[in-house]
Amino acid sequence: MTQPCAHIIDDDEAIRDALQWLFKTRDVACATWPSAESFLEALQPGWRGCVVLDIRMEGMSGLECFDVLRQRGNQLPVIFITGHGDVPMAVAALKKGAFDFIEKPFNDSDLVDIVMRALEIDANNQRAEATRETVEARLALLTAREQEVMELILAGKFNKVIADELCISMRTVEAHRSKVFEKMEVRSAVELAQLVNLVRSRGAH
Amino acid sequence: MSGRVPCSSQRRRTLPPVYEATRIYYIVDIHNTGHGRAHMSPPRTTALSVLSVRQRRLTAVPYLTVLLFLAVIAALVWFTRSYDEEEQRATLISDVLWMEQNLQFKLERNAAQLAQIGQEILAADRHQPQASAALRQLVRAENGLVRVMWLDAAGRLQGAVPPMGEGEMIGETLGGQSASSFRLAQALERRVYGQVYAAAGDRQQFEVHVPIYAEDGFAGAMVGVYSLHDLVTNELPWWFAERYRVSVLDSDGRELVAKSKIAPLSDRQSYSMAFDPPGGGLTLQVTAYQGETRWVQVLLIGSILLLGGILIWSVLQLRRELQRRHRAEQALRSESLFRRAMEDSMLTGLRARDLDGRITYVNPAFCRIVGYSVEELVGRTPPMPYWDPDFLQQTQEIHDRILAGDAPPEGFELRLRRKNGERFDALIFEAPLIDAAGRHTGWMGSMLDITAQKRAEELTRQQEERLQATSRLITMGEMASTLAHELNQPLAAIASYNTGCLNRLEQPDIDRSELKDIFDRIGRQARRAGDIIRRVHDFVRRSEPKREPLDINLMIREAIGLIEADSAKRGMRIETDLEEALPTVAADPVMIEQVIVNLVRNGMDAMRDNPPARRTVRVGTRHEGDTLVVRVADNGTGIDAETGRRLFEPFFTTKAEGMGMGLNICRSIAELHHGRLGFETNPDGGTIFTLSLPVEPS
Repeated sequence: MTQPCAHIIDDDEAIRDALQWLFKTRDVACATWPSAESFLEALQPGWRGCVVLDIRMEGMSGLECFDVLRQRGNQLPVIFITGHGDVPMAVAALKKGAFDFIEKPFNDSDLVDIVMRALEIDANNQRAEATRETVEARLALLTAREQEVMELILAGKFNKVIADELCISMRTVEAHRSKVFEKMEVRSAVELAQLVNLVRSRGAH
Repeated sequence: MSGRVPCSSQRRRTLPPVYEATRIYYIVDIHNTGHGRAHMSPPRTTALSVLSVRQRRLTAVPYLTVLLFLAVIAALVWFTRSYDEEEQRATLISDVLWMEQNLQFKLERNAAQLAQIGQEILAADRHQPQASAALRQLVRAENGLVRVMWLDAAGRLQGAVPPMGEGEMIGETLGGQSASSFRLAQALERRVYGQVYAAAGDRQQFEVHVPIYAEDGFAGAMVGVYSLHDLVTNELPWWFAERYRVSVLDSDGRELVAKSKIAPLSDRQSYSMAFDPPGGGLTLQVTAYQGETRWVQVLLIGSILLLGGILIWSVLQLRRELQRRHRAEQALRSESLFRRAMEDSMLTGLRARDLDGRITYVNPAFCRIVGYSVEELVGRTPPMPYWDPDFLQQTQEIHDRILAGDAPPEGFELRLRRKNGERFDALIFEAPLIDAAGRHTGWMGSMLDITAQKRAEELTRQQEERLQATSRLITMGEMASTLAHELNQPLAAIASYNTGCLNRLEQPDIDRSELKDIFDRIGRQARRAGDIIRRVHDFVRRSEPKREPLDINLMIREAIGLIEADSAKRGMRIETDLEEALPTVAADPVMIEQVIVNLVRNGMDAMRDNPPARRTVRVGTRHEGDTLVVRVADNGTGIDAETGRRLFEPFFTTKAEGMGMGLNICRSIAELHHGRLGFETNPDGGTIFTLSLPVEPS
């Protein structure tokens, strides 16, 4: 189950079957779960895609399931399906970070569109994550001195100023600089800043 | 008896103020326990304390008077006694003086006679027979003389009467002392009394020497020998001796002679005086005998003391009685104040009436409840001002029942009216009033204002009804929501399948078997939806009417019986105008009853704001052709066109607590019975609902 797919969780078998058929006709990979419990039991950290969650279910409700997911640190986009009168609940869920909600009876094409958008976002997230991991791995290669020099480069300072601040010669600074560029696999200070910002902004999240 | 008169007059004078004070106090108290109590003012307390100070002063008066009276009596007795004594003493002194005079006179006379006789015997020197007779006459016990002797100028004894006996010594008569007296008399040329001496036989004697002069000078002396005893005793008249003890004392205070009898002597009534001329320091002492006990006086004083004692005792008794009474009064007053505080603090109205039904007492709570003042109520006879004019007859009946002693012991409720016209419900208990003598004097009634309580009960009931209505609504809402969800599921599934199919159809290669399978599933979901609808239908079908031949008039009477209590409470009347001998209809009795109850209730709701005169729901039945028509007419607000259009829609209502299902259900029931429910405007104002039911073919 490493392939990204839409996880449909609904206690009504007909709905699951119908949605599976619908997604199949739009070439969206999907998996169905008869209850929140069964989904949570099977869930692995590496799973990608999105979750389509019915709010009103036997046993664990959709909202509870959503809370458990977030508690476990799982960031999969969640789309709620709400019945009539459940809208306030869905809005509350949205505020907690749900991706979207769609009211029953829904326009099926809309649902598929939302799911596709969610899958795309998740894919982007995954990519960003992968990039960040790479950058972090490259950063780990830098020596303490090289990191110092890098911070000053990121601050936009010239080699001369850096040499003055660190009390080293210009030549040494240049040597460190080329080493940093080499280790970070970039060709310019601008590229370096982009890479590092990617990691830092995520980390600040 | 003289002591008693002032005593009783004292009593008359001093005691009444106390009684009067007590009576005044009683009057005050009676006034307090009376009807005017509710408006007693605080200054009464100071008046009471002033009264008690005055009362205390008044209480002290009799004691003071009694003490003063006794002191005066004692003074009087003492004064009388001392006066008496003074009198006695004066008498004594005058008696003594008289006696002394008497003695002096006797001595003088004897001396004069001695001189005369002496003249005849000594100067004439011849013994005259008449002189001897005179001498014998003279020497008698009455005169105190025991012997007369005559001496010549040389002092020699010439003769004596009675003559001197053999045994008697001349020396005795003419001893040293006698001789000196003789010489003294000769020298002084006047009579001289000698010293008292003891003679034979323990007799005290003294002599008087009377010098006799002839032509040739001193011729001798006549000597009279007095017996002191004889002189004193014989000289005293009987009454004097009876009254006094007379004694003669010498200069040393020795008693020489005493005339006494055996009787106690008074220690105070005594008088002494010098006894001259015998001289020589003799003293005549007269002592009164102790007077005979004067029984009358003793009795009088005794009775005064006794009566005084009784008086003090009775005053003390009276005082104790007064104190006891005072304490009882205090206790009574405290009790009465306590009771009054109780009555005043109570929220329950209290009202006492006599046997004629006249109000004799009301407490502040009662005044507060009915809004009339004490003055406006006390003394009133029925009909009372607080009776509700609308229930006058009913109230009078209850009143009569109470006076007849027929009051319900568990109390009764009555609608009364306050002074401001506001009506209120009162719960009243009556109990007979029995006075101290055990007589039945009237009725004591307690009254509770239960308006608020009843209002609260009514409010609770309404709230409960509203709550029930709400809960019914909630249940219905939940049912609708569940139904919607149930139907939504298959419909949503069908929609999804359908969209999927459409997606497939837009793709170039179509797998027919796959589509067929999906269409199967669509069909299955459609059947599922159908099943749900069927279940609902089955549920509804369960309330299909059971039909039985029904007397519609009977149904209407039963339905009205159900809501009569409610209508009376809301001040509504229900009138019926039922056509007799109606044919039966085939109908479900419970359902028809429900329709009639609903329509009547709607009519009453519509007349909620009407004046009491226009609060009548009229229910009538008519046989028109092959239908029975039930008309329920009200004079309410009527139904406007917009409301009329939506009247039978479910969930449409004009009432705050309405559910909007009543008329809808009624119409459904009418239709179930193949009848019709309609409405028209009442020409008298309001609306007429008509329920038409087909007559059962006979």
